[in-house]
Amino acid sequence: MRHPWLACSLTALAVITTACAPGATAPTAAAPEAEPGYAASADGALPAGGTLNLQVHVDTGAASGLDPQLADVASSWQVMSLVYETLVTVGPDFTVQPLLAESWETPSPTTYVFKLRDDVVFSNGRRMTADDVVGSLKRLLDSKSVWRGQLGPVKSVTKSGEHGVKITLDTPYTPFLSALANVPAAVLPMKEVRDGSVDPAVKMVGTGPFTVEDHRQDVSWSFRKNAKYWAPGKPALDAVNITVAPEETARIAGLQNGGASLATLGNVDSAGMLAGAANVEVVTQATTDFYYLMLNTKAASSKFADPRVRQAINMAMDRGQIADVAVGGQGKPTGATPAGLPGACDPARLPSATGGPEGAKKLLAAAGVRDLSFTLSIYSTEPAPAVAQVIQQNLQQAGIKVNIEQMDEASWAGKVYGKAPATFDAALSWFAGYADPGMVAKWWNPDVAGFNSGFMKSDKELNELIDAANTVPSGAGRTEALAKVCAKADTDAQMIPLVTRPATIGYRSDALSPSLYATEGYGNALRLIADTRAKAVR
Amino acid sequence: MRRPLDLLSKGGLGCLLALVAFALGSTVDLAGDPDAIVGPRLAPPGPEWWMGTDNLGRSMLPRVMEGVGTTLLLSCTAVLLTAAVSAAFGILAGYRGGYLNEVVLRLVEVLYSFPAIVLAVLVAAVLGPGQFAALASIVLVTIPLMTRLVRAAAVGVSQRDYVTAAVISGARLPRILGRHVLPNVAGTIAVQGTYALSVGISVEGGLSFLGFGVQPPQASLGVLIRQGGSYMIAAPWLIIGPGTVLVVAILAINVFGDGLRDRLEPRETRSLT
Amino acid sequence: MRLALWWSGRALSSAATLLGVSILIFAAVRMMPGGFAETILGPFATPEQKAELAARYGLDQPVFMQYWHWLTAVAGGDLGTSMISREPVSLELLARLPVTAELTILSVAAAILLGVPLGVLTAVRARPDGGAAVGRLLSGLGVSVPEFVLGSLAVFLFSRYALGLSVGGYVPVTVDPAANLRSMVLPAAVLSIFAISATARTTRDAVLGVLVEPYVTAAVARGESPWFIITRHILRNAAAPVVTLTATITAYLLGGALVVEYVFNLPGIGSYVVQAVGRRDYAVVQAGVLLAAAVFIVMNVLVDLMVGTLDPRLGVTAKGRRA
Repeated sequence: MRHPWLACSLTALAVITTACAPGATAPTAAAPEAEPGYAASADGALPAGGTLNLQVHVDTGAASGLDPQLADVASSWQVMSLVYETLVTVGPDFTVQPLLAESWETPSPTTYVFKLRDDVVFSNGRRMTADDVVGSLKRLLDSKSVWRGQLGPVKSVTKSGEHGVKITLDTPYTPFLSALANVPAAVLPMKEVRDGSVDPAVKMVGTGPFTVEDHRQDVSWSFRKNAKYWAPGKPALDAVNITVAPEETARIAGLQNGGASLATLGNVDSAGMLAGAANVEVVTQATTDFYYLMLNTKAASSKFADPRVRQAINMAMDRGQIADVAVGGQGKPTGATPAGLPGACDPARLPSATGGPEGAKKLLAAAGVRDLSFTLSIYSTEPAPAVAQVIQQNLQQAGIKVNIEQMDEASWAGKVYGKAPATFDAALSWFAGYADPGMVAKWWNPDVAGFNSGFMKSDKELNELIDAANTVPSGAGRTEALAKVCAKADTDAQMIPLVTRPATIGYRSDALSPSLYATEGYGNALRLIADTRAKAVR
Repeated sequence: MRRPLDLLSKGGLGCLLALVAFALGSTVDLAGDPDAIVGPRLAPPGPEWWMGTDNLGRSMLPRVMEGVGTTLLLSCTAVLLTAAVSAAFGILAGYRGGYLNEVVLRLVEVLYSFPAIVLAVLVAAVLGPGQFAALASIVLVTIPLMTRLVRAAAVGVSQRDYVTAAVISGARLPRILGRHVLPNVAGTIAVQGTYALSVGISVEGGLSFLGFGVQPPQASLGVLIRQGGSYMIAAPWLIIGPGTVLVVAILAINVFGDGLRDRLEPRETRSLT
Repeated sequence: MRLALWWSGRALSSAATLLGVSILIFAAVRMMPGGFAETILGPFATPEQKAELAARYGLDQPVFMQYWHWLTAVAGGDLGTSMISREPVSLELLARLPVTAELTILSVAAAILLGVPLGVLTAVRARPDGGAAVGRLLSGLGVSVPEFVLGSLAVFLFSRYALGLSVGGYVPVTVDPAANLRSMVLPAAVLSIFAISATARTTRDAVLGVLVEPYVTAAVARGESPWFIITRHILRNAAAPVVTLTATITAYLLGGALVVEYVFNLPGIGSYVVQAVGRRDYAVVQAGVLLAAAVFIVMNVLVDLMVGTLDPRLGVTAKGRRA
């Protein structure tokens, strides 16, 4: 949810095994066979088998180990999704689709009854039961996982027959299914977890298409096909090998020389740089991830205590230029609801969208502030420094001086999240935007997002607007409620959303036939891994 | 006894002076504001931007000028610091010997035992990345060798007759060290200083390359090369300029250092054939 | 007797140096801003989680006690446990050693096999003419191109144009020796440019120094063949600085060739330690640096020993080092 490199984790590679006939739809440069909702669709006529050699930026690596419920970054979700599955998953265009639950009913707006598949087996051979599902969700709700905050007002989780699970909520909660579709809500083998024979922090046992064969921290993973996987004929691949290659140039080299058949790319210009390379395709996946600026109002001598100062900064920033220059025209301006999600607000209609540097100067004058200067703390992973430098140029137009302080991730995290109240002036980071427009907006409430409470003050009105928007069912009413959230967050301006950032994925067209959604909310490029097929190389 | 500098060394010195002049151009904004976004992204060299533009649409010419300046200034400052510290401790340890000598030698040995770039990364982690960290790293990396060599030279000088004579005539310690020892180890300091300078430039470059050195928007050669490296295919002008300048700078310093050494520490030699 | 005295003195001072390194690295690691808790627990951690983690790794104790525990554990051969991977640091170091060792061996071998003959050749042929200047310029160029420039260039050229060598994609030698060599030649070449040039320069200087010695003059007067003079008189007497340099380069490379590991994505020791710095994985940083320092110190002792054997007159040597 933070860190650029997490966000840029690719797309899902899926293959629609039957639906996709070669040459079915209008060709695009990247993926000639993609159908609506997909950036690429695999060729189901290819024989099963083969190995996927994937190169990514970063490995999992948290004190909570491999426990999926405590995983809080998208790059970890991606790796864990090879092994773990959830009741529901995200389909094309952010729709929610069945996975371990074959169907569900909502007899009332606060009741969900899931009918589980009865053919699902954990990789240790034991059949998945309703107890596993109930136990996993209860474990999650009792944990310190940040994802609790996204699951919403869950009142109870109970068994409903041998193959059913019933979840009741205190109040209606629109993003509920989307929240269930992410890795922290995965189903664990609860019998083994309880008797201690499986410690999820160190060993991954799930129902997913692959099992872990080997892991070397920060170097590599190797996964084998789960022979007991429930979906017939899947996964098509025999093995997935992941190499962790922090340097972008090394991943680009891997794609060019065939060492990688798939790679996640972080540089916004990587597509252009691979344009001439033989047998390399680059696809861009629109994600809901977006950059945001944090203004610390809790420091003892905060320069941003006056909302007019924060609004001036918000107004002086040129989101269009940030999108065009810093992220190479591949991002879009966004409000607190990620641009691109159905029902998200229009950033052009935010209060800060008009005014520009002149408006900002007036606001500062009204607030009696002269010669405003502050330090912007960023981490050095591109394109964060590029975003910061464009902001610096923007604010200069309004007479605001920004000093950029670039740090390694560790120092940055220590400075921004290490102390309460926090001591930084301003900081830049990004959120994964998830699959429902009301989800990430919840982080604007520091009472829910405790990690933000060190620098931002809770705003009762904003909190109520956020909760209200998530109580309304999808439709025009919700869109309106979300627009109010955006506008209020915009004037509050303690966290200022900036631009979205798409994920870039490169693959070898002579080695791989992947399927990738055109959109992704959880930074998971491997969402459709079970369908991806390998081509015989050389 | 002293020979004039040979042609190659003069060439090196000339190159260095030219680079300094080039860098000074940025202090008077000769080519414009290095941080200003002036054109399209990744534009090739043209009449408006002689060295092309970078990934934010900033003109590369003023950025390279600023980069040379930052790198040279940082390295020179660091080397002056190294020279001062090394001279003080090296001379004192070499002249006094005994317990002080042991302590200095041990401390130097401890620093010396750290792999240089790991030492630099640690310094950057402790101090926070930035110019100050780069400066401190260069100093810590170059101090051990210079201190050792100055000490060794000072040991030799301390046994010379004129030092003994000064001691007998009742001269006080600062005077002996300042008037008699220092001038005679100055050659060693100067020669090692030039080598330290080239080490300093590559430490700054390496550190900035890893993201721990000079911070944006300020340019340094390492920062520019780091950035250019990832655009080698799409925009080779981003790395050709700074890369060439960096190599030329280090080469010029090394060649000049060789010449200086031959001049200050001449050595008879002959040809075998 | 004198030798025993020399050895005990040497061992004592080496131990003192290593102790100094251990204090310095321990202090440096504890002085880094951004604690382990924020870093590896992430921004979403609660205070209780942080406290629990601190207790698990003994980080809630006074720093002095932590240092003492660490020192005694290391003395007993336990380098600690990585907070990220939860595995012993020694295992991962051992797994990464082959990469680092292979890079070192290839580069140092190139330096000796190419650098020494080049140095001798340029020295015995030294005449103040254009050729000498070109030689000086070339070897100067070799020590002047930083790894990060050369590495970037090599990655670009060899990944853009299929030139037979592979970039990245490290293959263990046990899996496929040929593929291993293909993936290691390029990074080793990048590292060896400096090593070769530095060795050539040092050899040349040393040989030039020896050429004026009376025994060389005598040998020339006796009419001995140049080959005989070079191998018998010159190389033996010019060896000390070259051996010292080679040892320094070896120690330096064994400490991890950071930039090259990054650029070519090789899982060596340097990137392990530096990544650990970024994640505040204390045990890894401490163990990595301590080990590199130990290698360096042992190497120095070996050099003294070797130089003493080669030329008994030289007991203590001045050492050259690169950054």
